[in-house]
Parts: sequence; C-alpha cells; structure tokens
Amino acid sequence: MNAVLQAEGLMLQLGGQRALDGVSVAFRAGEWVAVVGPNGAGKSTLLSLLAGLRAADAGRVQLQGRALADWPARERARQLAWLSQQGEADGDIAARDVVRLGRLPRHGLFGAPDAADEAAVERAMVETECLAFAGRRLSQLSGGERQRVLLARALAVEAPVLLLDEPTTHLDAPHQRALLRGLAARARDGAAVVAVLHDLTLALTANRLLVMSRGRIQADGPPDDARLRAALVQVFDGAFSVERVVVDGRGRWVAVPTL
Amino acid sequence: MKRWLLLLLAALLAAPAWAQTVLVDDRGRRVELAAPPQRIVSLLPSLTETVCALQACARLVGTDRFSNWPDSVLALPKLGGLEDTQIERIVSLKPDLVLAAGSSRAIDRLEALGLRVVALEPKSLQDTQRVIGKVALALGDAAAGAALWQRLSTRIDAAAARVPAAVRGKKVYFEVASAPYAAGEVSFIGETLARLGMGNAVPAALGPFPKLNPEYVVRVQPDIVMAAATALAEMPSRPGWDGLRALREHRACGFATERWEVLIRPGPRLAEAADILAECLVGLGAKAR
Amino acid sequence: MNDSTRALAAVAATLLLAAAALAVFGLAAGSEGLSFAWGRDWDLVAAIRAPRTVGALFTGALLGLAGAIAQGLFRNPLADPYLLGSAAGAGLGVVLVLAAGGLFGRLIGLANADLLLRFGLVGAAFAGALAGVTLTLLLARGTAQPMVLLLSGVVVGILLSAVSETVMLIAPEALRGKQIFLLGSTAFLGWNSVAVLAGALLVTLPLSLRFARALDALVLGEASARSLGLELPRVRLLLVVLMALATGTAVAQAGLVAFVGLVAPHIVRRLVVVTHGPLLALSALAGAVLLLASDVAARSVIAPQELPVGVLTAVFGGLYLMVLLRRRGRW
Repeated sequence: MNAVLQAEGLMLQLGGQRALDGVSVAFRAGEWVAVVGPNGAGKSTLLSLLAGLRAADAGRVQLQGRALADWPARERARQLAWLSQQGEADGDIAARDVVRLGRLPRHGLFGAPDAADEAAVERAMVETECLAFAGRRLSQLSGGERQRVLLARALAVEAPVLLLDEPTTHLDAPHQRALLRGLAARARDGAAVVAVLHDLTLALTANRLLVMSRGRIQADGPPDDARLRAALVQVFDGAFSVERVVVDGRGRWVAVPTL
Repeated sequence: MKRWLLLLLAALLAAPAWAQTVLVDDRGRRVELAAPPQRIVSLLPSLTETVCALQACARLVGTDRFSNWPDSVLALPKLGGLEDTQIERIVSLKPDLVLAAGSSRAIDRLEALGLRVVALEPKSLQDTQRVIGKVALALGDAAAGAALWQRLSTRIDAAAARVPAAVRGKKVYFEVASAPYAAGEVSFIGETLARLGMGNAVPAALGPFPKLNPEYVVRVQPDIVMAAATALAEMPSRPGWDGLRALREHRACGFATERWEVLIRPGPRLAEAADILAECLVGLGAKAR
Repeated sequence: MNDSTRALAAVAATLLLAAAALAVFGLAAGSEGLSFAWGRDWDLVAAIRAPRTVGALFTGALLGLAGAIAQGLFRNPLADPYLLGSAAGAGLGVVLVLAAGGLFGRLIGLANADLLLRFGLVGAAFAGALAGVTLTLLLARGTAQPMVLLLSGVVVGILLSAVSETVMLIAPEALRGKQIFLLGSTAFLGWNSVAVLAGALLVTLPLSLRFARALDALVLGEASARSLGLELPRVRLLLVVLMALATGTAVAQAGLVAFVGLVAPHIVRRLVVVTHGPLLALSALAGAVLLLASDVAARSVIAPQELPVGVLTAVFGGLYLMVLLRRRGRW
C-alpha cells in the first residue's frame, strides 16, 4: 500500500539544538499512530513539518507522492488537518463558528458554506460533545470545553490525514476515551491518524507507536512488539514499566509508574 | 569748591534713594535688587519688548527663541523656549536679572542656582500696564514705566480718533485660531478694540478666548471680520460661512505674519497694534463711502 | 442559531435607531443649544449642521471599522486604529504644513501659502497617516510576524512624534494648530468632507467585510489559520491597507479623535456574539453613534462655545470601559 504521507531525512535546527536529526517515516491510510517520547524529543516539530507549517533544513515531505511544498495551500489544507498543541486559540466568536472554520479548506475565504458543510460541522460537534455550548463565546469556555471545540474544528475538515498534537489536553477521562474511540474508528474508515500523546497507556491502544527521543525515531512498530516496548521504557529512563493486563477477557498494555 | 561739595551732597542723597529696590512679581515673590541690573536675560517676547521699549535694550545679554523684536535682539544668544530653556547657558551668561513668564519651569532651577528671577506675564491691557511698571522698577527707573504707558495710551487714543464714524461701534469678529477661537471682549485684543470704539461679536460672558461653534459666527453676522491673512483666505470655504455678509462684502481685514505677531502679543507694542487695527478700520471706512 | 441571528438584528436595529435619533439632535444642536425651529434656521441647518452630522457619522464609522480590524488583526482587545503609526504620521504631516506655511509664507507668497493651508492640512494629514503605516510595514518587512508589526508601529509612532516635536521647536506657530488637530474637531465638516468620507467608507467597508473571515481564522492562532490553507501575510497586508485608508481619511477630516476605534468593537462584542463579518459592520455603526453623540454633546453643553469632541469621546468611551471593567472580571 502506498504511503499517503511520507518524510525522508528530516533535519531541523532550532535555537542551536538539533530538533530533528534525520527522521524518516511513512504513514498509510488506515493507520492509527501514536507518537510518544519525553519533552523536547521533537514530536511537535515533526508534526508541524508534516503539516507543512514550517520548512526543514534538510530532507523532504511528500503528500500523496507529491512534494508537500508543491501543493497549493488550500488543497493541502483539505488533505491534512492539524491540531495545535498550544491553546493559543482565543476570541469572542461562538463555538460553532470556530468549528465552522474547519470547512475553510473546502470553500475558501470567499465561498459560501453549503448544507454539506453544516452537516460536517454538526457531526464533528456531536462526536466531541460540544453542541451544548455551541452558541457560547470561545473565551468563556473551560479548558476542556475549549479543547473539544478545537478538536471538532480539526475533525470538521474531514481530511484523510489527521495530525493532532496532544489532543487529550484538558480532557477528562470519559472524553479522552470518546476521542480515542473516534480516532480509531476514523482510521478503520481509511484515514491516516497521527497523534502525539503524553499518556502512555492511551498511546498503547494505538495500532502503531513512534517512539521519539532527541530528534530521532528510536522505535517504530505495534505495541505487541517487545523491542518497541523495551525502547519505550528506555527512552523514559525506566520511569515506568509496560505490563500486560487482562480486562474483560481482553489483553491490554498499560504503563505502570515505577516508584 | 562749593559746587563740588553740592555735587557730592546730591550724589550722597541720591544713592540711598536707590539703595534697595523691592518688587513683588506675579508669583507673589519679593525680589530685591541692590543695584540696577546690567546683564538681563529675558525669556518671554513681550518682556523683551518691554525692556527695549524702556530704552534698556543694550543691557540684554540673552533672550528666548521667540523674541524677535526689535532687530537688535536677533543677534543676542537664543536660550530656548518654554520647554527647553538652556539653563547652563543662562548661568554662563552671568545675568543679574532674569525675566520670565510665570509658567516657565526653568524659574525654580534658575533660582536654585542663585539667579535673581522676576516672573511676569502680561495677559490683559491692565496686565500690560502693570508689567511695564514692574519692569521699569526693576530696571531702576519707575518713572520711565509710567511715561511709556502714558505714551502708549495717548497713541491708542490717537488711533481711536482716526477710526471713521462710519465703522465706529460696529461688531468685530476677531479670530485668533481656526477651530475657531475668537478674541472676546475681555481679552486684551478685545480691550484694545473697545478703546478704539468698536464692538465685539463675542460678549464678555464667554471669556477671553472661547472656542466657538462655527454656527454662532454665522448667526451673529459680525459687521467686520479680522483674522490672519491665511485664515481669512480659507474662511469662505467653511461650511455655511459663505453666508457671512461681512465676508461677501469684503468687510474684512487679513493680517500677514509680522503684523499678526504684533496683534496677538500683549506688550509695549499694543499701541502699534492699535495703529494696525485703526489702519484696517480706516480702510474699511473708505470702502463704505 | 436563530437566536443569534435575532440578537444580531436587534443590536443592528438599536444602533440604527440611535443613529437616527442622534441625527435629529444633530440637526437641532446649534449655537443656541437645541432648537427644532428648522424652518427659520434652514440655511444654518442645511449648510452647517447637516453635513457636520452626517460627517460625524461617517467619521465614526471609519474609526469603528478600523478599530475592529486592528483588534482582530492583532488579537488584542486594546488595539486601536492608530497603532501602526497613522496618528503620529498624520500629526507630523499637519505640523510640516503649518510650519512651512509660517516659515515660507513670506517666501512663497501669501496666495500660495493660503492654498497650501487650505488643501494642505487635510491632504498632509492623510498622506502622513499613510506614510506612517508604510514606514511601519517597511520596518517590519511585511506582515509575516504580527508581533514585529506591532512593535514596528510603536517605534515608528515614537520616531515620527519626535520629529514632529523638533519641527515645532523650530516653527512654534505650528504648535497651536497641532494642538487643535490633536483634540479632534468636527466643526468644519462640510459637504465636500462628507463626500470624501463616504467614498472612503464605500471602499473600505465592503472590502473589509469580504476578508473578515480571515480574522475569524486568526482566532485559532497563526499556525492553525495557516494550516487551513490561508495565505496570511497577503490577507494581513490588505487589511492593514484598508485600516490605514479608513483611519487616514477619518483623521484628515476630523483630527485625532480618541477612543472611538478602541471602544466601538467592545460595545458590539458586549451586546452580541458574532463572527468578524457582522462585528466589522456593527463596529462601524457603533463608532458612528459614539462620535455623533459626542459631537452633539460637544455642541450643546456650553453653547455657543464648543468642547473639543475628542474630550467627549474619551469621556463617553472611558466611562463605558470603566463600567465594563467593574461588571465583569474578564472580557
């Protein structure tokens, strides 16, 4: 199967440090990938490069086999939905209008939204459960509510590739669960979902993990791969161990802090 | 021998008459002068002009940037304006008297540095008389002040006599700045106009320099309009002002910069201002015929 | 959704009503206080009060629009239209013309000096405002980084003010004119001015509305807005140009009126939750109402004297902001 999004030999210096030191990775449709690693590993940087938001010093990114830089901005935006890690979104517009921004790649700055756009917005808001405050100002929502609105905005793009940076921030457990279920379902439906997660147990529910550290990919594979799990523990300096737990007859991997 | 003794006696008698001059300036401060000042710094154009009008021009060693009359003053060191008075330079000139406007911030600094400062600022006609008197006193010749004022007053009356009967008593609108700011009855300009026998479009109740609603001027329909030449030229283009009969019938006087400065500075050139105003009125009277 | 449209319509209707009511008062506020005997004073009403009233509405609209654009562009509720050096530039233009008129009046002859003053002040203020913004754009090297743009605007403002002050030291006759200009004045708005203001509004308002969605996208943050396929530097440049045109025209006709651009968008935001399209339009309306209210008050309170309109916009605007601050902890 051809890679829908592919990076080769990405290098980036940021403030005298090697933020990315030769990263090559490929993502295919239907994959649900969790990107994990300690602070400063380069996870967010990798995602923003993959989204085309900044240029690498060396290496290239290809989307659907074509160089990312060659894609016109709007078409690229239709293919790649990106969610920022930082909560810099703030303003007095209503939550629903924020989610509607996710349809900009489709109709552009001057086009009129149609019924299909409204339906997509509605679906996204149902999925992240933010309909209840659809009419409230973004600035007056709590952290969790705001995150759900921003998530809905990213989901409303309905792009085949999702690049989400720490999507579970501020979310309580039920909403985290709902989000992960939704992401897994999207992957099953054919999207390529890449999410940076700080909660390792949640990350271990993905079907592929990218373990990053010091600007490099240290391990890449399914959670069932023992070498991957070992790399995971090593990258976090043994701060936790990965254990197998059986719940309701199903086996799960969980990260247990070593105290 | 006798003559020599008499002269000595006269000198001895005259000396104590000068022993100590004390005057109270506009701040209410008592300033004592042991001898007539010989090195004078003036930081206000009207005070510069007063000193020169009292024949003490030669004693000036420095003025502010804006003093420009008489011509001899132009050669003197310029010591800045209200905001940026050059304290060091003033001190280095070693004046024995500094004349300044009361609102100058430099005064405290200069006094702290040991200089003698007299703060005076003429704003009305009465002020001008008073200030001329005080400056004359400070210069050591109070009588000269009174004489100067008398001459000015006589000259103003003479100007008043020249104002033709046809225009006497007519209402004048005198615009000081475009906003429009007008010179009312109680301003010094208004007072001079009154002495010339003219009326004022702006009654005393509105204060000396009120900022008026332009509509007021059109409504009042002054008989005569007076303003700076440049302002007068653009007046007809103001909305509704083409309805001013005075403008349409050219019953107006526009004053170029040099004469304008004389008109808006309250000081010893008040008489010259009166002459300028009278000249304008005479011209208008001729037209009326 | 229906609720918000209804709220929007209600606010628009209220503002329009306020504008209409104030317009009536504007036609009545003369040098003798409020007088509705328009038949008797027809000349005064038609030639002076009417253009002044309409002019105040248009000027306020331009300032309200520019303020809303500024606050959206910089994502800062304290932004105002004078941010990018337009105020300092306009002030410098005015000072230069006044100084030249005084200094060279004797050289270039009286007729030319008067021509200079008649067209010069308005033209110089407008040109100065645009020059100030251009300098800011040059210093910031484009609109790629909003923070750099903002700082450049501050630097240019300070620099041009300093030049202005220096010129006034050399030519003190400019001081009076500059002070008058700084306080703002609607006193001499005639039908010519109204035409110019209307023209500026006709150009800037529709174009701004067309690009208003970019300001919505900016709510998400720079990077996210770009990830949605928007080419931000170009859109920002256009909005800056529109803002400069609106501000420059308003300032050229009525001087530096304070607070209108800052407060108008806040008034709208308090009343209704809207995206930037309606926000820009309603801010223009709110600005119009605010300035006309101040103008009517300026004319009426101590008739036949006038208060500077900038003082009243500061009073009304400032009072409103104080009320806002006391009522809620946050915006």
